[in-house]
Amino acid sequence: MTAAAVNDIEFRSVSKRYGEVLAVSGIDVAVPKGAFVALLGPSGCGKTTCLRMIGGFEQPSEGTVLIDGQPMNGVPPYRRPVNMVFQHYALFPHLDVEANVSYGLRQRRPRIERREVAKRTAQALELVRLGGFAKRRVHEMSGGQQQRVALARAIVNRPAVLLLDEPLAALDRKLRTAMQIELQSLQRELGITFLLVTHDQEEALSMSDYVCVMNAGQIVQMAPPQEVYDRPRTLFVADFVGKTNRLSGTVEAGGTTLRLGDGRALPVVAQTPGAVTAVLRPEAIRLDRGECSERMDALGGTVTHRIFLGNAVEYAVAIDGLGEMLVTADRSAARDPAEPGERVNLSFKPESLLVFPA
Amino acid sequence: MATRAGTRHRFVTAALAAPAALWMLVFLVLPFVAMLVFAFGRRAPEGGYLPGFTFEQFLNLPARAAAFGNTLMLAPAGALLCLLVAYPVAYYLAVKAAPRHRLVLVSLIVVPFWTSLLVRTYAWMYILGSRGLPNLLSTIGLPDLRMLNTPGAVLVGIVYGYLPLMIMPIYVSLEKLDRRLLDASADLGARPVSTFLGITLPLSLPGVMTGVALVTILLLGEYLIPQLLGGGKVFFIGNALVDLFLQSRNWPFGSAIAVTLVLVVVVVLTVAMRIAWRFAGTRRVDLV
Amino acid sequence: MSKLPEKPISAEALTAQFMRLKRGSVSRRHFLGVTGLGLATAVLGRTGSFSLEAHAQDLGSQMSLATWPNYHDPASFEAFTAKTGVAVEVNVFGSNEEMLAKLQAGGTGWDLFVPTNYTISTYAKLKLIDPLDLSKLPNYSAKTETARFTQEGVIDGQTYAVPKNWGTTGMAINTDKLKTPVTSWKDFFELAQTEADGRAMVHDYQLTTIGSALVSLGYKFNSVDPAELAKAEELLVKVKPHLFAINSDYQPAMRATDAWMTMCWTNDGAQLNRDMPEIAFVLGKDGGEIWSDFYAIPSSAANKAAGYALLDFLMTPENAVKEHIANGAPTTDSRVLALLPTEVTSNKIVYPDEAALTPLEFGAAVTLTDPARAEVMARFKAA
Ligand SMILES: Nc1ncnc2c1ncn2[C@@H]1O[C@H](COP(=O)(O)OP(=O)(O)O)[C@@H](O)[C@H]1O
Ligand SMILES: [Mg+2]
Repeated sequence: MTAAAVNDIEFRSVSKRYGEVLAVSGIDVAVPKGAFVALLGPSGCGKTTCLRMIGGFEQPSEGTVLIDGQPMNGVPPYRRPVNMVFQHYALFPHLDVEANVSYGLRQRRPRIERREVAKRTAQALELVRLGGFAKRRVHEMSGGQQQRVALARAIVNRPAVLLLDEPLAALDRKLRTAMQIELQSLQRELGITFLLVTHDQEEALSMSDYVCVMNAGQIVQMAPPQEVYDRPRTLFVADFVGKTNRLSGTVEAGGTTLRLGDGRALPVVAQTPGAVTAVLRPEAIRLDRGECSERMDALGGTVTHRIFLGNAVEYAVAIDGLGEMLVTADRSAARDPAEPGERVNLSFKPESLLVFPA
Repeated sequence: MATRAGTRHRFVTAALAAPAALWMLVFLVLPFVAMLVFAFGRRAPEGGYLPGFTFEQFLNLPARAAAFGNTLMLAPAGALLCLLVAYPVAYYLAVKAAPRHRLVLVSLIVVPFWTSLLVRTYAWMYILGSRGLPNLLSTIGLPDLRMLNTPGAVLVGIVYGYLPLMIMPIYVSLEKLDRRLLDASADLGARPVSTFLGITLPLSLPGVMTGVALVTILLLGEYLIPQLLGGGKVFFIGNALVDLFLQSRNWPFGSAIAVTLVLVVVVVLTVAMRIAWRFAGTRRVDLV
Repeated sequence: MSKLPEKPISAEALTAQFMRLKRGSVSRRHFLGVTGLGLATAVLGRTGSFSLEAHAQDLGSQMSLATWPNYHDPASFEAFTAKTGVAVEVNVFGSNEEMLAKLQAGGTGWDLFVPTNYTISTYAKLKLIDPLDLSKLPNYSAKTETARFTQEGVIDGQTYAVPKNWGTTGMAINTDKLKTPVTSWKDFFELAQTEADGRAMVHDYQLTTIGSALVSLGYKFNSVDPAELAKAEELLVKVKPHLFAINSDYQPAMRATDAWMTMCWTNDGAQLNRDMPEIAFVLGKDGGEIWSDFYAIPSSAANKAAGYALLDFLMTPENAVKEHIANGAPTTDSRVLALLPTEVTSNKIVYPDEAALTPLEFGAAVTLTDPARAEVMARFKAA
């Protein structure tokens, strides 16, 4: 296989067991070169374990991890062309910022010339905008700065793949948003593959080219963010990547009508008939003030709560005979917002109803 | 109001510090002052102390130069040897041993400390005596070796006796070591040896320095092990002190030696710490 | 290669050694002083307090004795406690120098102690002991004592101390290991550098080690002459690299045959010879030490009444016989001698021929306080 591999990282039927616990269960996945991939899933689903198997800190119980087309079985961490930004950074407390960042370069054999090390270290620090901090002790730095030292320490080595384990989890919201943008532009600038682990769906959706959703040691869906959000493969994905309203019912013969429990019929895009759970995103619903029509697909109800979100307004609406639904409306669309207690009428396009077999 | 609170705060601090201060005064400062006074006096004809002011005792110090020499050689050598044995043990306990076995293993190291060092050193007299190891070795054809009552035997005794004191601080500092730092180092391309030298060792230096300082200081006053395993032929400054106070009753000379020993300890420690810091690089390691 | 089965240390031997240590019976004098273990104490039985004699209340309930390790029959103290209700705390010491150091420092709490002959004049001079009130010692019999061993307890006609037993300082030789006969201290120091290279021991004790070295050079045992001391120091420093040890605790090394030859006190010599007949006890024909140990009461004693009571109890011939059998040192009292079994009195180690004793000298007071001897010893040890 002399031809350059297409995929930087590939998992072939990889499982990992810790005693009784099956942390990762038969994963097959490929991370294309130069992509920004987010590994998203709830806490404990096996994300870190996957990353550690790539880094070489854990060996798969079964299967093979390939980096750049090469099987990595038994290859120790220090011989793998990947670098990791650790959860909580794991900066060396006894070294200053510069020594932390140059650490990887100083491990190279044959040795890299001292001046070259200094130059590349300075460049990396510039890249993460820590130019003047070379001589600082790491514990004298703020959380955000430490985060960037950790980044610089990894990218200075020009790894084929940069692994990031919840790199932004410890930062406050504003800093996190700023870092998300920085990470994205950094990835573009460097052109190397980023594999970022997070349990924050917003982070995953906003930054990555691909989102890889994990649940209970398995990969449920890997697709671009838009697709994961709009066409989740399972109910779990739909729930995990955004807010949902759930409706239970039956798709009738013909496959274009969803009959709800109370007899209401809603139009759907062609489905296999049978019992289903349908999911409707709050922002896919249109809210009109006034009494509802008599049509069978109409959802009439009363506003129970109104939550102001800054750029949007979220309503909780008690649907007659169905229970509560969440509706998100643009502020522009709601210049004249409905008041709690007011009668409203909800509607949506058939294609925005996501249907999963129950 | 602020001053009242401040006064009270100061009072509380003083009250809390008082027992420690008193302890220091009674058990450290006063004896040292007494020693200082004695050191400038003269020996009474039948032994003891005659008041006076003379430098005669200090001028006589060269008479114990050999004891000082032995001590200043063997104490650091013993501490270093102790370190070489203790470090791998501490490393194994803190890093390699399964956490659930750790407590048992640590106890195994500490428990012998509960019996008297004398009894354990006596056991070594047998092991190194001609019916012990030398006899065992001669059965496999080695020539008759004299082990007991040699400087080597003293070193063995020192290493054995002081090992737990060296292991414990190193163990504690290694146990505190964040394992992710080792992963991070390997991730950055460091081989295990480089990780050990670049991360593990420097981060355990506070423990190493504590252990070396502790053992060296205690060894500077050691007299039991040289007496028992050196056969009285390996003479430490501690042995000289015991002889001067308990045999020839030359308190002034003994005091002069003790004062000098204290000064030597202070100097040795200061120099050792400087060297250790330099070894740890310009970036100083936080003690504690 | 030897007849003696040289097996590695057995469990029993090790246990026995520990027990020895526990009892504080590691052999006499200097060793304990140097190791600082002379502080080991034991309070012996408080039993029998219900069967007190009439005078018991004057004696208090406790007293303190300073003595040598392995030097008494523990049953003696139990019997004394049963008789009087006074518990005896026993403090053991390693050397006369150490006892003197303790008494000089003050606050010992001793009510009775066991100094050696040559130290008594110094104690009296320093007023650390008072003359004894012999009326309180009805069982002491001056006329049955051997004058040679009592004389140093009497100063200016006043009795300051009464003898416990006497002894000699000779050489113990393992005759299986050493074929050259040893009859003098001159032989001892020569053999130490040749046939017994690495196998000889000298005491960690200025009196006997310097004294014997002086004797081997033809000088007096107690010399403080600077030129003679310099010669003795020269000899000792020359011998030192060939020695097995400088240690007054020579029994273990001799028993383990780590050492083949040592300076040795009578009672240790008798014990070694009893257990290992190949170990001979020899007195130097060129000289050496003869000594006697005494009982005295410190002037600082808090419970002098009990001190007198215990002393009188130990002076009773029946009790003194038990003490003799326990520690093995010869008696100074003809009443006691008469009660001893013949296998004890005929033992030439314990009771040598008078001719063998002729060249021996008693230690002199001057050696105890002379700084020059202390320094010679210190330089020898540090060399
Ligand atoms: N070293 C380990 N020993 C035992 N169990 C582990 C170990 N590491 C992780 N696990 C278990 O494996 C599962 C996955 O853990 P992890 O990969 O850390 O999850 P995530 O990073 O997605 O939160 C969890 O149930 C966790 O308890
Ligand atoms: Mg994790």
